Amino acid sequence: MPKVPDHELIRLIGSGSSGQVWLARNALGFYRAVKIVQEQVFKHRRPFEREFNGILKFEPVSRLHDGLVDILQVGRNEDAGYFYCVMELADDVVTGPNILPATYSPRTLEQDKDRLKRLPVAECVRLGAAIASALGFLHRNGLFHRDIKPSNIIFVNGMPKLADIGLVTDASEGRSLVGTEGFRAPEGSGTVRADIYALGKVLYEISTGKDRNEYPVLPEFRGSQAETADLILLNRIILKACRAKAWQRYQTAEEMMLALLAFQFDKAALRRRGNTELLTKVFALLGVIAAVGVLGGLIWRFIWLLNHK
Amino acid sequence: MNEMVKLQTEEFIPTRYSLLSRLQDWDDQESWKDFFDTYWRLIYAIALKSGLTEAEAQDVVQETVICVAKDIDKFKRDRKFGSFKGWLRNLTRWRIADQLRKRKPNALGEDVLSNGSNHSVDLAEIPDPVDGGLEAVWEAEWQANLMEAALERVKRRVKEEHYQMFDLNVVREWPANKVAQTLEVSVAQVYLAKHRLLALLKKEVRMLERQW
Repeated sequence: MPKVPDHELIRLIGSGSSGQVWLARNALGFYRAVKIVQEQVFKHRRPFEREFNGILKFEPVSRLHDGLVDILQVGRNEDAGYFYCVMELADDVVTGPNILPATYSPRTLEQDKDRLKRLPVAECVRLGAAIASALGFLHRNGLFHRDIKPSNIIFVNGMPKLADIGLVTDASEGRSLVGTEGFRAPEGSGTVRADIYALGKVLYEISTGKDRNEYPVLPEFRGSQAETADLILLNRIILKACRAKAWQRYQTAEEMMLALLAFQFDKAALRRRGNTELLTKVFALLGVIAAVGVLGGLIWRFIWLLNHK
Repeated sequence: MNEMVKLQTEEFIPTRYSLLSRLQDWDDQESWKDFFDTYWRLIYAIALKSGLTEAEAQDVVQETVICVAKDIDKFKRDRKFGSFKGWLRNLTRWRIADQLRKRKPNALGEDVLSNGSNHSVDLAEIPDPVDGGLEAVWEAEWQANLMEAALERVKRRVKEEHYQMFDLNVVREWPANKVAQTLEVSVAQVYLAKHRLLALLKKEVRMLERQW
């Protein structure tokens, strides 16, 4: 069993392609999640070092925003060939913040989705705004998440947080194909708009109950007319976040967050904004046509003058 | 769905060599992915309808694709194999027979090789694994699969809002005014999306039929 200073590893609670996650207890008796990443699971050293460097960059930033899972300690055991990362622990899926080691299972958005099938639109909007805010903060600090999906959003004291920062990187990595199929943008991961795309797909899944590969098919409309109208309005935000062409999406996570906040407080403005965007495009097109017409007229006049000189 | 049913019953003339020629190139991962994405559901559905478990059906998919990869060159050179559709059906049937044979080793008279196709085996000697005849079921699944594959291609090519209008109006058969009201668009936009996407869908179905 790996050794982590000042922590007792209690039980393995998860494992993925890059490492294991343990339920642990620190010297003060507080429960933590400890991720152990072994070098031997990687074919080459580079991805191991990349993940370690990503966590090092993320660690100081993580504690500055409520929407990012706090990284409390990072360390490395060169001889044994692993590094570890101590994080705040997610709520238990059944007992919430009350942790019972023997039965503990972390609550993620993936589990909420499996349990509830579809989340109410209002809940989707609140969650989306919280994660978009966290994402914007990450981006302002020069970092990208690259693997946003429901299983990487956990709840700590009921608050949604971006977790599993194994693929976090900065701009030096450039675009890549890491991430999860269906949440990965067409152009790849590792950019602001690719992260926005992934968040859009998350909102699609939790608001429709459908798989992200079914996008953009809408679900059966249940509930009241108001709920349907809300879903259609959220659909507009999702459509913009998930445009195939990156330049057509929200430019920043803050922009997406503002749209989601507007949803909560001023739906009429959101509707008008949608119509305004269309009107703006129409006027822009008319402007281009007018400019071409004027230019054409000038050229014709010039040629006429030349011919009649 | 009525417009889509009409598309399914139109006659198309399959030709052999466009995408099939690309399948010979082992490095052309995109074409192989295209092939897999288009046909795995069809093979899987037939395998399940033959009474196989999900795990066995997955094996049938895998082994059929491997057979195609191994024998695609032979198929293209020798016209005795008939159409690609028929050849794929036979390969699938052999792989299903292999799975059934694993359950009951003496059930089949011929020793059908599990790592490739044995073209000398008379299919008539292999019991039809599907109640009601594999051929009829295959044809129905083939058409459904073709339509699904064509819809997926259309979905990737068009604006998402238009696909949503099309899905509600054509696939789910909502009246146009209900679609317009729900999506907060005009009825004209709904009709335009329907017309445009139906034309695209027809084109995609035709292209898929020609490719395979």
